[in-house]
Amino acid sequence: MDKILEAKNLKISFRTSNGAVKAVRDISFDLERGKTFAIVGESGSGKSVTSRAVIGILAGNAIIEGGEILYDGKDLLKIEEDEMHKIRGDKISMIFQDPLSSLNPIVKIGNQITEAMILKNKSNRREARKDFNKMLAILKSNMIAADKTSNAEKISDLIKVFDKCNIVANQYENAYNNAYTKAIDLSSDIKDALFKHEKKQKTDFTALLGNCAARLKKISDKFLTVGYNDRLTELSAQCHRLKKLSKSEDFENKATVLLGSVKDFLADMTSAVRPSFFQIGYYLLKYPDTSIGEKPIERLNEEALIYLNKNFLDEFLSFEKLGVIYSYNRALKKKKSVLEPLHKAKEYYSGDFTHAEAVKYAEDLSKQVEESIDKLEIIKDNVAYTFRTGLLTAINRYFTCKKRNPKEERRFAKQTAKHDKSLAAGKKVDWKVIPKSVYDLDDLKEDIVSVVNRLIKKYDRYIAESTDIDFDARSLALIEYFKEKASQVVYRVTKNMAKEMAIKLMEEVGIHEPRRRFYQYPFEFSGGMRQRIVIAIALVANPDILICDEPTTALDVTIQAQILELINKLKRERNLTVIFITHDLGVVANMADTIAVMYAGKIVEYGTADDIFYNPRHPYTWALLSSMPELATSEKLDTIPGTPPNMIYPPEGDAFAERNKYAMEIDFEQQPPMFKISETHKAATWLLHPNAPKVDIPKIITDRIERMNKTGGSNNE
Amino acid sequence: MSRINNDEVLLKVENLCQYFGPTKAVDNVSFDIKKGEVFGLVGESGCGKTTTGRSIIRLYNITSGNIYFKGERICAGTFSYKTAIKEAKSNTKKDIKALKEESKNNPSKKKENNAVIEKKKRDLDAFITEQKNKIKSAIFDHKYSDSRYSQKCVAKVAGEYNKEFTDAKTEAERKALSLKYAKKFKIAKNTRLITKIQMIFQDPIASLNPRMTVREIISEGLVINGIKDREYIDEKVYEILELVGLVREHAGRYPHEFSGGQRQRIGIARSVIMRPEMIIADEPISALDVSIQAQVINLLNELRDQLGLTILFIAHDLSVVKYFSDRIGVMYFGKMVELASSEELFLHPIHPYTRSLLSAIPLPDPHSEKTRERIIYEPLISHDYSVNKPTMREICPEHFIYCNDEEEARYKEEFGL
Repeated sequence: MDKILEAKNLKISFRTSNGAVKAVRDISFDLERGKTFAIVGESGSGKSVTSRAVIGILAGNAIIEGGEILYDGKDLLKIEEDEMHKIRGDKISMIFQDPLSSLNPIVKIGNQITEAMILKNKSNRREARKDFNKMLAILKSNMIAADKTSNAEKISDLIKVFDKCNIVANQYENAYNNAYTKAIDLSSDIKDALFKHEKKQKTDFTALLGNCAARLKKISDKFLTVGYNDRLTELSAQCHRLKKLSKSEDFENKATVLLGSVKDFLADMTSAVRPSFFQIGYYLLKYPDTSIGEKPIERLNEEALIYLNKNFLDEFLSFEKLGVIYSYNRALKKKKSVLEPLHKAKEYYSGDFTHAEAVKYAEDLSKQVEESIDKLEIIKDNVAYTFRTGLLTAINRYFTCKKRNPKEERRFAKQTAKHDKSLAAGKKVDWKVIPKSVYDLDDLKEDIVSVVNRLIKKYDRYIAESTDIDFDARSLALIEYFKEKASQVVYRVTKNMAKEMAIKLMEEVGIHEPRRRFYQYPFEFSGGMRQRIVIAIALVANPDILICDEPTTALDVTIQAQILELINKLKRERNLTVIFITHDLGVVANMADTIAVMYAGKIVEYGTADDIFYNPRHPYTWALLSSMPELATSEKLDTIPGTPPNMIYPPEGDAFAERNKYAMEIDFEQQPPMFKISETHKAATWLLHPNAPKVDIPKIITDRIERMNKTGGSNNE
Repeated sequence: MSRINNDEVLLKVENLCQYFGPTKAVDNVSFDIKKGEVFGLVGESGCGKTTTGRSIIRLYNITSGNIYFKGERICAGTFSYKTAIKEAKSNTKKDIKALKEESKNNPSKKKENNAVIEKKKRDLDAFITEQKNKIKSAIFDHKYSDSRYSQKCVAKVAGEYNKEFTDAKTEAERKALSLKYAKKFKIAKNTRLITKIQMIFQDPIASLNPRMTVREIISEGLVINGIKDREYIDEKVYEILELVGLVREHAGRYPHEFSGGQRQRIGIARSVIMRPEMIIADEPISALDVSIQAQVINLLNELRDQLGLTILFIAHDLSVVKYFSDRIGVMYFGKMVELASSEELFLHPIHPYTRSLLSAIPLPDPHSEKTRERIIYEPLISHDYSVNKPTMREICPEHFIYCNDEEEARYKEEFGL
């Protein structure tokens, strides 16, 4: 079981002028990689709030009263906005209910899809150089510290060569990328023109051919065009020649054929092996004047690598490995020593403390934790990295609430007194006392402790695993990291490149003629097509988790079926994890692996799709299932009487008791715990208590299940 | 279902066309709705089902076709007559030209031809006058069907009044009588035929004025009809509120204080207070949660029994339509493609579009869902209408399909008829 996201004891409320609305009350769930988790419930049950908490877009008046959402070692409820910004849309993406209001009406579809690609690439380029320099500086200091033979000068020489080698490599890679971009641009333009011609629109082939001839000539690079040069000049000349024949009869046919072959040629050229610029960069650093570009790229890569290894990398690696080991060991030692203060902090935060003290303590502690991080690790230990912000957020939250509580008490007392006084005076009172919303301080304190606890657990595991570490692999991975960062610096996504990527994506989500659709506005699309665009935009950054908030509620049946099929397909192909929110149980039958039925901010039943549909146990699930008309139903529908409770005054017992015909006395007094039915199936209803009277599932559902089993059986045969 | 036991046609839609510029939103749709029946109209968004509903209640002026309600023509379009005139004119022109040409080449026939030309011209004139009269009557009906109906109502009240008046003996009795009837006359005079058709809208949030209290919203129709008696209005409003499952106290509140299901109940109350005979429910439950949907459907069912309502139910959710309607019409791109009783339609769907719609319904059954094969409808592949034009045809009793000769034969064969 590979958990990608974990929510624990999540509690969220909203501040309103009528009092605090308890939207989510203590829910926990796990998300497994590559599976679909569906949240089902009525409007106001807190299903959307839960998903919005995951992606960090809760409304301004939302208060997180406790709990944590763990993703990739980070607690999404406590990290800073900057950090969240990197996750939102990039790692966790969202599709909204109404496709009309989630697209910008005055921007073309294409621009809306490519926007994110171009922006992300820009910021990546900016960050990459910084990251590279920072990491290199850390490596250098570690290498020097690790070295016992006091070869500091040699080490800094090596580092200098390494850096220079990357700079040279960058120059060549930049030139390569430029030529590459030119080729992609040209091929994109040709594809556009050919598409236009296919659609019987007017295309100016003469101008395009001239353009093509000139641009083909300009594509030249030491590496990209190796082996293609002759063909390039030939094609350019052909274009030039054909351009002059514009008066001839079958000019258009000839032009399309030629342009088609140019397009194929460009596709062929751009899909060839990329040179490894780092090793070639080293060679060129040593012998800047050699003309290297005559050999095929594969051979060049190999030879350059051998040369690099012999002359530089072996030596560099040996020193680097020392540095890595040194850094690791130092961090390990620090980790061991920081464990004791952490344990102390646990005790400290369980006791009493003032705000200033607690913050100071946290700062001191996080300084120590900061030192205990192995900076040369590629896979970052996010628990340690976000320790400071997590701890401080938890502390601040605790004190804000602590400050707010007495205020709230005072207000409540004052208002009640006024209310009672007016009543006593015999006046007509047409206002209600706003109920007090007091935060559970113990819970909030628990949260602080759990931040510390999480780090302790993580460090314990780290120390336990410390015996077998492959330092060779680590050092190589570090080199790879540098190379990747270096090439990111010069990797530029141009508009045309983004466009080609976007068109591929649009094809993937099932939009016909993406090349034409690319230039259209949202209003030119039907509802289903708009939702496909929204899905495409959500997939631009290749996220891990996709949250679908009622993606088909605004669509009709046929389109709904198409969109559901599309989401299922994308999930399989991209190994996406999906959180699917809906009020329609029929929709999730095909989608979900696990289902949580939510009511009044709580999960009332949790299980696999089979559990929920073939063996529902909570009266609310029964009610949901039996209020859906089916093609075979003809008797009066079972409705759920009444409306969901007002969550400003959450009921004391089971929130569903008032609308539940199976409710017992205890349901009004005490909240039922989660009863475990099987390994995967849980439900919160007193009916599952061993002393409860036996209640049968409503007939309408048993009938349906029987019928389904029958048809299901016949399908299997 | 056995709830209708009469053949009285309440609403008759005849060749309804509604064009918006070049877009044919509704194209030549005909159907009847019997008294007390629920008629379902299904189809994907943009197929013209809402436009049909709105045309019936005269939110649009229809392009051509006729709509009869209680035997009165309430909507009539003129486009078809105008095109007929145009066609006749151009045809005659062509004929005359050909004849003249002939006389030029063959002078001996000139006299004979001239006579024919004269006759043709006369025929054309007669035809044009006829069509123009039709246009006139259509425009007249469209405009004055309401006042004609109110005249009828007034005449009915007058009859009663005269009878009682002659029966009355003393002067005082007569005075009392005239006072009593004054209000009745006023109501009769203000009666509009179109108010006998009311509409429930899709979005309960957007269709209620947020600045009006529930009382104002519900009683608006009465007020517009000229009733000023506060007590009478309040009485009515309370009665209706209780009828739709709300309580008296709700009358003073504003729409935002209600949940979605309750808001839809207010919408229903607003339409029911006019004591309509027919209700057009335009996707009344699409914007509601599943559990609330069931409440609203049950309410509509109860009202239908209590008030003897006839309902035109427009929706895209087939399982709901099946549950609720007696007969169903399936629309696709402005055309009605299949029309049958709901049992029949779901047991034997014939038109490929209906089949594809049925295959798209999600079921609360994971096992069968995973093996479900959706049928995709491609009109160009399914039909070849290039030569033989399709029309509405009865394949088996009370089951109509939009098809051409070849398809009719095939469908009948499939059916074993």
